Amino acid sequence: MAAFRLNDPGSAPTDRELIDRTLAGDGNAYGTIVERFQRRIYRVAFAIVRDEVEADTVTQDTFVQAYTHLARFQGRSELETWLTRIAINRSRDALRRRKFVSLFTRDEDDVETMIEPVDDRPDPERQILSVQLRAAILRAEKLLSSQQKVIFRLRHYENLSLEEIAEHLGLRAGTVRAHLFRAIHKVRRELAAWRSQGGSDEAALQ
Amino acid sequence: MKQHYSEADLLETYYTQPGDSMPVMMHLAECGECASRYERLEKKVRGLTACEHEKPETFWARQRISIMRRVEGRRSVPVMRYAAAAVLTLMLGGLVTWKEASKPPSLPASEGPTVTAAMEYEQPSMSSDPWQSEELKDYQPVVAWESWVDAETKSGDHS
Repeated sequence: MAAFRLNDPGSAPTDRELIDRTLAGDGNAYGTIVERFQRRIYRVAFAIVRDEVEADTVTQDTFVQAYTHLARFQGRSELETWLTRIAINRSRDALRRRKFVSLFTRDEDDVETMIEPVDDRPDPERQILSVQLRAAILRAEKLLSSQQKVIFRLRHYENLSLEEIAEHLGLRAGTVRAHLFRAIHKVRRELAAWRSQGGSDEAALQ
Repeated sequence: MKQHYSEADLLETYYTQPGDSMPVMMHLAECGECASRYERLEKKVRGLTACEHEKPETFWARQRISIMRRVEGRRSVPVMRYAAAAVLTLMLGGLVTWKEASKPPSLPASEGPTVTAAMEYEQPSMSSDPWQSEELKDYQPVVAWESWVDAETKSGDHS
């Protein structure tokens, strides 16, 4: 197997140059592409699948798929956008697979519910992470449709703008906004439910 | 008229683009209490997502190696396919040739002479010298004499 050089500090070739070199058979060029975007792709994948191992798999699959179809990349969008789109699709596939598997196993979110107790004991770490808010978000996420979940997670965890999400998903910004509103309302309901159990908004936000 | 915004309202403002929620943003600009609440909310939500991707460099290196191995595998797949196809073609070709070579000549007896006759008719046997053939052999001495005369003439013997 060829040894791939992953760093080339002397120069910073453009994405287009790296693509051309990769298509010409230069494996090092693709290594540079991977190094340039792997963190970003992993973040997007993790934002959606919320599982480190699965996000790693999605990231790897994304780059392998992109390599296979690199000749078809027209350059109409940025390479990063193209890769992100592949990663999102792969992540959605992973969510679907997980949902299918969960039909035959226990609830997929059982593990998540374990970290949501309202704990009054002074625990700085828990205060920092704002457990209540996190728990409300996790509970609300369970109620979201697949599309809403992907949109909300990209907004929440990746802080993507509505326009960016729309571009990645091939949707109109208005559609994304509508999905996001529904998702936020569910989070609000979850926060309200927690409040009715004796919590306070301020506590949740501190 | 709303005095203050709840956290839920601010949550909505946070997730939708803040610039779009003009009434809320205007209120936040005027109300210190709501502004600090929004700031706190923003900080906490950011806190939820921060530090999730702090991976050691070894993680990224391992991931890169894994990806490049798979990519390398993909790249060698077509070559392997072509090689396999070539080997298969050679084997099949060899098999067919061997079968043909090992097959005994089994022409039907009735067709043998017919074919031979036809071949003889179409391709009459030609001797190396056409003047030796049945049609021309009578003229051969004449031709030979003329050739001899011509040769004598050409040799320059005019005496």
